[in-house]
Amino acid sequence: MTELAVEATGLTKYFEAFQAVDHVTLKVPAGSIYGVLGPNGAGKTTSLRMTLGIIDPDEGTSRLLGGHKPQAVRHRIGYLPEERGLYPGMKAREAIAFMGALRGLDWSEGRRRAATFMTELGLERVIDEKIRKMSKGMAQMVQLIGSIVHAPDLIVLDEPFSGLDPVNQERLEMLVRRERDRGATILFSTHVMAHAERLCDRLAIIARSQRRFEGTVDEARALLPMQVRYTPREQGEAVAALLPAGAEHKGEAWHFAIEENDVEPLLARITASGHGVAGLSIARPALHDAFVHIVRQVDAGFDATPQADAVEEAAA
Amino acid sequence: MNAFLKNMLVIARRDFLAIVATPTFLLFLLAPLFMVGMGAVGGLGASQLADSARGKGRIVAIVDPADVEALRQADARLRGALSGGERPVMLDVRAAGPDAPDPLVIAREKGSDTYAVLSGPLESPRIIERNEGSSSGRYLALLAADVLRDRAAGPVAPVEPRFEAITSGGTSIAAQQSLGFGAVFAIFLMTLLLAGQTVSSMAEEKGNKVIEILAAAVPLESVFLGKLLGMLGVAILFIAFWSVIAVGGGFVAATQIDPAAIAAAGKPAAALAVAPASGWGFFFGISICYFVMAFLLLGAVFLGIGAQASTVREIQMLSLPITIFQVGMFSLSAAAASAPGSDLARFAQIFPFSSPFAMAARAATDGAHGIHPLALGWQAIWVAAVVYLSVRLFRAGVLSSGSGWKFWKKARPVAAAAAAASAAAESPSTH
Repeated sequence: MTELAVEATGLTKYFEAFQAVDHVTLKVPAGSIYGVLGPNGAGKTTSLRMTLGIIDPDEGTSRLLGGHKPQAVRHRIGYLPEERGLYPGMKAREAIAFMGALRGLDWSEGRRRAATFMTELGLERVIDEKIRKMSKGMAQMVQLIGSIVHAPDLIVLDEPFSGLDPVNQERLEMLVRRERDRGATILFSTHVMAHAERLCDRLAIIARSQRRFEGTVDEARALLPMQVRYTPREQGEAVAALLPAGAEHKGEAWHFAIEENDVEPLLARITASGHGVAGLSIARPALHDAFVHIVRQVDAGFDATPQADAVEEAAA
Repeated sequence: MNAFLKNMLVIARRDFLAIVATPTFLLFLLAPLFMVGMGAVGGLGASQLADSARGKGRIVAIVDPADVEALRQADARLRGALSGGERPVMLDVRAAGPDAPDPLVIAREKGSDTYAVLSGPLESPRIIERNEGSSSGRYLALLAADVLRDRAAGPVAPVEPRFEAITSGGTSIAAQQSLGFGAVFAIFLMTLLLAGQTVSSMAEEKGNKVIEILAAAVPLESVFLGKLLGMLGVAILFIAFWSVIAVGGGFVAATQIDPAAIAAAGKPAAALAVAPASGWGFFFGISICYFVMAFLLLGAVFLGIGAQASTVREIQMLSLPITIFQVGMFSLSAAAASAPGSDLARFAQIFPFSSPFAMAARAATDGAHGIHPLALGWQAIWVAAVVYLSVRLFRAGVLSSGSGWKFWKKARPVAAAAAAASAAAESPSTH
């Protein structure tokens, strides 16, 4: 059985009468990179806050790093909140050492590690600069370093890529992978699918306060059929009969979705028909497509709570 | 070191340095200098005005030339027995004669305030007063009587009194009560100046969004206590700075003054002869302890209230009720200091927020030492209780966590479930 770094079960939170999170369960294997995906206002941040014990759930429990209550293992956790916060009057080195000291790291060791991290990330020129003089992106990198300076076992990053330029986004991805290689578990939220697709071992999609999907990136992508674009060499009425129902004719090309198992039979039919192939592309859907599909289903009122439902719908 | 204490010290260190290592702190540190300076300028002006007014006031005696010298001597004798405000204004003695001006004209002369004018024979003088029944007029009559008595008795041997001061015999209750009031006032003034600042202490973390980092990393109790400790450090630095200045200044001043003059004045020795019932050393030490407790208690209340405020405007609005609360505690304690042993004093000593003030006053009038550790413990319990309550309120209100109150925790899902059920009844469910 896989050891879990995060085991949050049935997390539920009400803000007055509004239910922000509805029985969300997150089970993050130790040593993995786990993404929590969802549209704005889905309940990602509240779920993470409850997971870390910053706010208490109205229902559900959270156990971290071997079944401990979050408060008992604070010093083993690194957290980058969605709302970035640093003392503007502090220098970067001191800010990082301070955040490390909060988690039990010695001040002098914190300063030493701050210098190492900032040099690695190409930020050494601003190490003794006050936060208020830094750009937003730089300050965010400082805060990120502050959240991992004490070498935590669990790193929770809430929307870590927002506000970063592409170069810093790449640096952050590198940092996340390196921390995972060190042995840490990374749990992060985002609504930018490209990062999740490149980084995540597993992910959960939250929409309208509930978890709607849990699995690997490939499993998410497999929720949708493959997308085909076919341009016959010879156009004719008979082409439509070769293709699945619902195929759309736009210009010279036909567009339709197809299950993975049906690819070879389709190719055989096209070849046998003699219509020829002027152009053909068969593409797996991206995580982005799966995400949009799930969220749209939820928005349309489709109950996709269990993963099986989503698969069934995709198949249908 | 315990993790909680370590966290608390990390927060305290950050807050302390954030306040002290700024140019603004210098302004804060030197603020009393401005206060003293402004007070001195105002006082000097008022004093000059008073001196000027006093210098221009006079009483006039127009007497037979033979009595001029006797009248002057009588004035010197009587004036020496009076002090301060009792001492009459300057006496202007003029010889009577055919060319002497009319007393009414003298009384109305411009350039000085003439309070009374005596003229005519000393046995039945005519005294013109500016204000009816004034002491100036009575003084002139007294001088006339003294001169007449001297004249009747003839020359007598000068009295050679031997004055002896009581140097021992204990401090009076009134003096000890004054000391008690002094302690109450000093602690009140310092907490008024310093503890009130804690009200805006959490505003920085909320404004900079650092609070979530702190809440995730350490218990909120250690954040609150750390902030309180940091502010206390600033307060102690402030007091230590001015204490060193005062002691150093006093020492330098003492070396500049002739020791004989100090001995002759005898006032420092007299001041030290006034002793609190518990002894100077204990009284001084316990007063410092009570200042710390007063700071922590009131600071914790203000910190807790301020933490609930979401805008600077709200914090500003809170300043007035906070100041009124402090003044209320001061008034209660001051009343207790003036009535030691009364029910009011006992109440003020037990009521947690006036207890540090009232107990400091008690140390001035009551020699018992054993009660003070108990009082400090009682006050410490209340500091912990206030911090605990503040954290619950902060979690419930500001962090929107449901853990503030148990009944909230239970009531919310029930209310929400009821709302959801009602919504479900109105529209078809999608689940």
